[in-house]
Amino acid sequence: MKQLKLAYDTMLAKHGMGAALFVAIAVTLWVVVFITLPQLSMLDYSFRFNLPADQIGTEADHYTLDQYRSFFFNNDGSVNTLDLMILLRTIVAAVIVTLIDVLICYPIAYILAHGAKGVAARLMVIGLIIPYWINEILRAFAFRVLFGATGVVNTVGMQIGLWDVPVDFIRADVALYFGLSYAYILLMIFPMYNAIEALDHTQVEAARDMGAPLWRVHWRVVLPIAKPGIVSGATMVFMLTAGALAAPQILGGPSSLWFTQVIYQWFNESSNWPRGSAYAVVLLFTCISFVLLTMRVFKVSVGEIGK
Amino acid sequence: MNRNTLFGGAYAVAFFSFLFGPLVIMVITAFNSSKFPRVVPWECFTTGWFGELFGNQRLMDGLLNSVIIGAGVVALAVPIGLAGALALSELPSKLRATLYTVLILPILIPGVVLGISTIVLWGQISRGFGAGGLYNGYFLTIVGQITFISAYAMLVFIARLQRFDATQTEAALDLGATPGQAFRKILLPFMAPAIGSAAFITLLASFENYNTTVFTVLSESTFTTALASKVRHGTDPSLSALAVIIITITLVGALTNEAYQRRKEAEMGGRASRSPLYANPVTRALTHPGVVFAILVGIIAVVSFAGSRHDSSMCEAAVLQEKLDRQEELRAAQKARIEAEQKQQSTLPKSNSAFGGAFGGLGGATPAPESAEPAAPKPESPSAFGGAFGGITAPKLEE
Repeated sequence: MKQLKLAYDTMLAKHGMGAALFVAIAVTLWVVVFITLPQLSMLDYSFRFNLPADQIGTEADHYTLDQYRSFFFNNDGSVNTLDLMILLRTIVAAVIVTLIDVLICYPIAYILAHGAKGVAARLMVIGLIIPYWINEILRAFAFRVLFGATGVVNTVGMQIGLWDVPVDFIRADVALYFGLSYAYILLMIFPMYNAIEALDHTQVEAARDMGAPLWRVHWRVVLPIAKPGIVSGATMVFMLTAGALAAPQILGGPSSLWFTQVIYQWFNESSNWPRGSAYAVVLLFTCISFVLLTMRVFKVSVGEIGK
Repeated sequence: MNRNTLFGGAYAVAFFSFLFGPLVIMVITAFNSSKFPRVVPWECFTTGWFGELFGNQRLMDGLLNSVIIGAGVVALAVPIGLAGALALSELPSKLRATLYTVLILPILIPGVVLGISTIVLWGQISRGFGAGGLYNGYFLTIVGQITFISAYAMLVFIARLQRFDATQTEAALDLGATPGQAFRKILLPFMAPAIGSAAFITLLASFENYNTTVFTVLSESTFTTALASKVRHGTDPSLSALAVIIITITLVGALTNEAYQRRKEAEMGGRASRSPLYANPVTRALTHPGVVFAILVGIIAVVSFAGSRHDSSMCEAAVLQEKLDRQEELRAAQKARIEAEQKQQSTLPKSNSAFGGAFGGLGGATPAPESAEPAAPKPESPSAFGGAFGGITAPKLEE
């Protein structure tokens, strides 16, 4: 609190009353009203019953663990494997997508930082950004066109003779994995690029001159520098993938639900907001603890993200 | 080293094919008249899907809503992001790390969670205080989106602030400017380009957002949510047409920006006098970003005018006719087969030679192509096989 006052005073002395007040009010509003209160309110809601409007505030309206209990257990007391499996599958799929992105983006980030020069580098940056400007829904749609029963992949595959009948890529979730890996490539490359760019290229040359094979140069010289960027990018990709809704809705097979879709159903189809809130809390809690755990393993702090 | 460069180049090509392949294919499907978006079988070149797109009332309403919401988000998220960046620049390092984590968190929180928490909070507020007016799709979407979009704006401002020379403000203060004057005359003009790019990024983010918006928009719909529900309930190539439009706008923006960057670089580097491109007055004018933009827009205008006059109805009618013919053909074949089967059951015991009949039937159909009724010779056909072959070959001979 004292430090906040101090910062406010510095601001006041440096930028004047108007600016200092503006900063103080805007940041407070952002932190309290837009970030903290909604989350608390959702947490509060997740501990309540789903009551009709006229019963809210009456005696029936008290705190309960019911919503969470129904996530873990069915009505008859057995474990709710359906929802638990969906959550587990979402997390595992998000991890796979993140790993795919790390693997395919690392070479590009390295080439961008140390290989490409001038026009080539600028073209590459533009080439990376353009797909990202196209609506998320349309990007998912593109993969649906690509992987549909009469899509290009099936037509080409059948013409070459790889398979005889159209393969249902949508049902097999191939389209979903492709679509999700595609969706957040940019968010993986830029933090990686920023980290790798900081590396002095003479270090790579020195290692090469001393006879280190290419893989070893990357393992011992480039990767340690790139690590914060990789973790930062991986965190963003993981969180966005685990929280994705559009791509699973459009590309997901009918039999495999994403956890966000379960939440969506509780809200928009079953109108059970407390249950939906509880599921959202579960998702948020699971994702954040998973990320923090991974960061601890790789010894990187949250402050690195977005840099 | 050379081999590595080659490998790197090949990988880059493969990577960018993955990035652009789906988009290119989607663009191609926008011009195929097939009802389902696909490249093969190619039916007709058409521009009709663009008309279909603009005729979609729900999407166009959503577009208007998106513009309203986007304007609100830009108006709020940019100042909030600026305030966040300024606050971070003044805080002592430990507190700064904490605040940074808090402010950056909404980017990482799943959009679904942000959307839910927003409607839950404002639902409670509107119930508790009877402020029902706040509980509408526009307000909730703006509030829900600025939670995390402000952080995008903030990242842009932080990057710009890092290059700010604080001694400028000190100099202004020493020269007798009030702090307020120094802020308005020194810091804000310095931040102006960043304000522009932050506004652009926030607008784009607001426009594109689905996960949060689909909850907060309640019964309204934005462009993106309308688009998503269209994709989910069956696809048609008018979405590809939309992609064509967006990609075109993006490319024009990218090329104009590239021209602008090149020119600025050339002028700042003092290369302007040396480069022949900038020495010649004609090419100098042609490479001006404004002119580049105008030329591109002109090309697009001409192409879309030409496209709008393209009439594919003849070709489409032909394809339809072809399909109908094929259907008719199949039906005739099926009918013949059924009849033949019936006949087979009755005539087979009496027939002296099935094969002889079959050849006879085939031979009989060939010399009589002008036979108007292909099914007509069938009853007289001596054999089941003859009837079946006659039924299949007759329509082909007619063509």
